Amino acid sequence: MRRLALRFLRRDLAASDFRLLLIALVIAVAAMTAVGLLADRVKRGLTGQANWLLAADAALISDHPIPRAYLPGNGQAGLLVAETATFPSMVRSGEQMRLAAIKAASSDYPLRGKLETSLGVVHAPQAGQAYIDRRIAEQWQLKAGDALKVGSKTLTVAAIIVREPDAVIDFSSLQPRVIINAVDLPATGLIGPGSRVNYRLLVAGAEADVARWKDGIHSRLQRGERLEDAQESRPEVKKSLAKAEQFLQLAGLLAALLAGVAILLAARRFVQRHYDSVALLRTLGASRRQMQQLLLGELLALVLLASIAGGLLGWLGQEALAYSLRYWLESSGNERLPAGTPWPWLWASAYALLLLAGTAGPQLLALTRTPPLRVLRRELQPGLRLGAQWLLAAGATLLLLWLAVRDVKLALLTGGGLLLAMLASGAGGWLLIHLLLKLPFAHWRLALRPLARQPGLAMVQLGALTIGLTGLCLLTITRNDLLDGWQARVPANAPNHFAINIQPDQVATLTQLFRAQGASAPVFQPMIRGRWMAHNGQPVNPAAYPDDRAQRLAEREFNLSWGDALRADNRLIAGRMPAAGERGWTVEAGLAKTLNIRLGDTLVFDIAGSSVSAPVIALREVNWDSFRANFFVTGSQAMLADQPASMITSFYLPAEQRPLLREIANSMPNVTVLDVGQLLAEVRRILLIATQALQLVLGFCLAAGLTVLAAALELNASERSREAALLRALGATQGRLRRLWLTEQSLLGAASGLTAGLLASGTGWALGRYALELPVGFNLWLPGVTLLAGALLATGVSQWRLQRLARSSPGELLRN
Amino acid sequence: MLNSPQTASPLLAARQLGKTVKTGTEQLTILHDIEFSLPAGESLAIIGTSGSGKSTLLALLAGIDQPSHGDVQLDGQSLAALDEDGRARLRGQLAGFVFQSFQLLPDFTALENVLVPLELHGVADATARATHWLERVGLGARLDHTPRQLSGGEQQRVALARAFAGAPRIVFADEPTGSLDTATGAHIADLMFELNAAAGTTLVLVTHDPKLAARCSWQLQLQGGHQIALHPNTAPDGWPA
Ligand SMILES: Nc1ncnc2c1ncn2[C@@H]1O[C@H](COP(=O)(O)OP(=O)(O)OP(=O)(O)O)[C@@H](O)[C@H]1O
Ligand SMILES: [Mg+2]
Repeated sequence: MRRLALRFLRRDLAASDFRLLLIALVIAVAAMTAVGLLADRVKRGLTGQANWLLAADAALISDHPIPRAYLPGNGQAGLLVAETATFPSMVRSGEQMRLAAIKAASSDYPLRGKLETSLGVVHAPQAGQAYIDRRIAEQWQLKAGDALKVGSKTLTVAAIIVREPDAVIDFSSLQPRVIINAVDLPATGLIGPGSRVNYRLLVAGAEADVARWKDGIHSRLQRGERLEDAQESRPEVKKSLAKAEQFLQLAGLLAALLAGVAILLAARRFVQRHYDSVALLRTLGASRRQMQQLLLGELLALVLLASIAGGLLGWLGQEALAYSLRYWLESSGNERLPAGTPWPWLWASAYALLLLAGTAGPQLLALTRTPPLRVLRRELQPGLRLGAQWLLAAGATLLLLWLAVRDVKLALLTGGGLLLAMLASGAGGWLLIHLLLKLPFAHWRLALRPLARQPGLAMVQLGALTIGLTGLCLLTITRNDLLDGWQARVPANAPNHFAINIQPDQVATLTQLFRAQGASAPVFQPMIRGRWMAHNGQPVNPAAYPDDRAQRLAEREFNLSWGDALRADNRLIAGRMPAAGERGWTVEAGLAKTLNIRLGDTLVFDIAGSSVSAPVIALREVNWDSFRANFFVTGSQAMLADQPASMITSFYLPAEQRPLLREIANSMPNVTVLDVGQLLAEVRRILLIATQALQLVLGFCLAAGLTVLAAALELNASERSREAALLRALGATQGRLRRLWLTEQSLLGAASGLTAGLLASGTGWALGRYALELPVGFNLWLPGVTLLAGALLATGVSQWRLQRLARSSPGELLRN
Repeated sequence: MLNSPQTASPLLAARQLGKTVKTGTEQLTILHDIEFSLPAGESLAIIGTSGSGKSTLLALLAGIDQPSHGDVQLDGQSLAALDEDGRARLRGQLAGFVFQSFQLLPDFTALENVLVPLELHGVADATARATHWLERVGLGARLDHTPRQLSGGEQQRVALARAFAGAPRIVFADEPTGSLDTATGAHIADLMFELNAAAGTTLVLVTHDPKLAARCSWQLQLQGGHQIALHPNTAPDGWPA
């Protein structure tokens, strides 16, 4: 029995339908493996990097010395712990002195990321030593071994700092950094009551351990203490990453679903081809169970082969992609992507099994029910409930979609698009064919007769072709339109610096500084600290909000701004901006939703000790990707203009104008400049990888689409050969046959192409508009292009198969 | 299988065998009360005009179709008492088949086609046995050819080798020469009777060729689904009638 099964497998491997099944499955596995691997690697790489920005996996940040109770306890020996204390202070060398940002770090600092110095990659300096910023070294001509006095403690300069991992988040301005060991901190005498120190307890370790530690102290946090992990601290990166991942998953799945259509068709052919074998085997004494084993074995072998080949192909694809991006990845100063895990591949294989079961399962099960009597009565075949098959395929599709995006709305939308494509292409294509039949072209009528005679098959063909093309177009659109739209949200000259804490009277000086450098002066916005006190007369109680995010938002102090005009990167979605003299708040829509704030609600903020109360008069949508300074809540000018405010601005500063920053630091020590270039680079990097990955997936989709065409052709190959034999017997020449088929295929392709173009434009628009929230227009030129492409593709792919049929002699055709 | 002791009961027997099918709204009886028994080693020709129910009867006798009433006893086993898989097992143990349309697996070589029943039932020296039988039917040089590369007569030889390779006790043949020209058909018929005689197999042969029927030891004539005659042949050996 096993030998017989192997024999069947070997022979089937030579059959075109089985090969199509295999190819389709390989494509599905490859696409999903590549996408999964890439998404996983990039995600872990970015999480790792985000952790570098924190120098830890999680940090407890406090404005007072960290209570010892927060240190990981006995059961948490696996966690690495470090502490830092950061504060501004004067440092001296001989007679000279200046302000510096001191960081006193325990010996294990940093836990994540790299502290790069002139000595190489190091940890915190030893007791009695200091690492100093290059600017201090240059200014005072200091080198290793020289003395530097911090407070009342004299330290030896051990190295010059090149790069500090947590500089971005720790943004203690552009004051040059001096890192000392924490054990020297008391001796400096700098820490006393009232000194502004930022204390951090850094923790790193296995994900679960870190999570347990965070959980353990979360509820015990006191005022002035907060927990931070990398993701929370970088919502922009997280959001971009999630979007990119979802998008890629969807694209990968589209390739898989296209392959699924090919599988469905090829499986039908496979099943048809095996009715006779199964009937014969059952006549010769095979039990139904044996038939099931035989077929199941063959399918498992199929999935196994596809899993291996597809996994390899997918791995190679994404590896090639990572390789082609290596320059970019490394030049951003980051390490290589972490190695992939086998999980995406295993998942992809499981998906493929699900795909195969969903699209071919019932047909194959029915096959085992072939009555043995078929050996005598050819017309007998098991009842095949194709309706049930399609239903199951649709179910499997939705399940796969949901598994990929974990978003019911997006899954339904995409699934709906596919279903619509199926229905519309079946009906629409069929209508078109009928229309063509009405035209007075005898040649066309003759060419289309096979399609007209078998409406079911014609619709499957039309549907398959249309879906294939729709997938391709959708990707073409998404690649261009969606990505363009997306990229447009992060313009090349997006601000890469923020300057905060600017005093209103410094705005003029600062503007001049920019002008003098030949840079355009940035726009300044007032920023006011305010604590949210009451909502519709009720005192704000953070604990009352069900979800964490809302709690965190509600309990923190807000940065408020004022102004009556809507900014360019904001969109009004409800209410109106304040009129001159009017009092009112405008609230960012996402925040409003999280905190359950509605238009007309009354909010009270405590600003510098006085309560400011006003109604919410507008809800705004903010494009956070613009990287400009934006505010969750702004007030009208009339209400807040008199409040004490500092100014904030964001600006783009190309590398060659960086000296400007030093001037700002020297002339306005109170101003803090944050470099968000690195953050921006991360988002850009995600976009770049996503774009490249999409090209890879596009390749898989193209392959899957062509497999669908081939499978559709394979499905009616025997009918076609019979028909060809008949026509040849009736005197049609090879050339005539070929022309007929060419006409048939090109008309079929054109009909599908037109439908596909319309559908893809519509779906792309809907996807962009509702799922990805990007402004994508309805693509008008596409249907024309797809009409041509459909005709070309259909004839192109069908030619190799049809040539073979047309060349055979009528006698041969009849015999087979 | 071949050497199992002869039992007193007939190898094949039909008891009031009938078949009714539903065509649209009507019940159509296509086979009425067939009744016979065939001892082991004998051969039975089922004859009749086209549409008289020959193939239907064969299918019922071989257990690949189910009767509407009556029963078939194959080697003392009531087919009605068995389920589909049980009948399949019994077929696998006892029966070989030859069909008008050959029913070879198109992707398999001649050798592999003969191997199918052997490997299905886990016969030990399957390849040697299959090769032996293909040599027996004169296709020793065509082992690796697929049906596409073989003529109709050659394909039917492969089918004969497949039927006999499993050492069946009974062979069911449905118009084995029906798709072949007269000369080739005659060759195939000769070969079949020769193999049958050599193996001592019981043969049930559907044909509308009187000459072929005459070479069987028994004839059962059908007309419109009725068994209108059942008689032993006057010349049981049937050499050329
Ligand atoms: N399942 C069925 N449903 C309807 N009619 C059937 C069915 N099975 C057989 N018949 C009819 O019963 C009759 C006998 O069929 P059968 O195939 O047994 O004839 P036959 O004697 O083998 O004919 P031939 O010599 O042409 O092969 C035919 O008229 C056939 O159409
Ligand atoms: Mg018949």
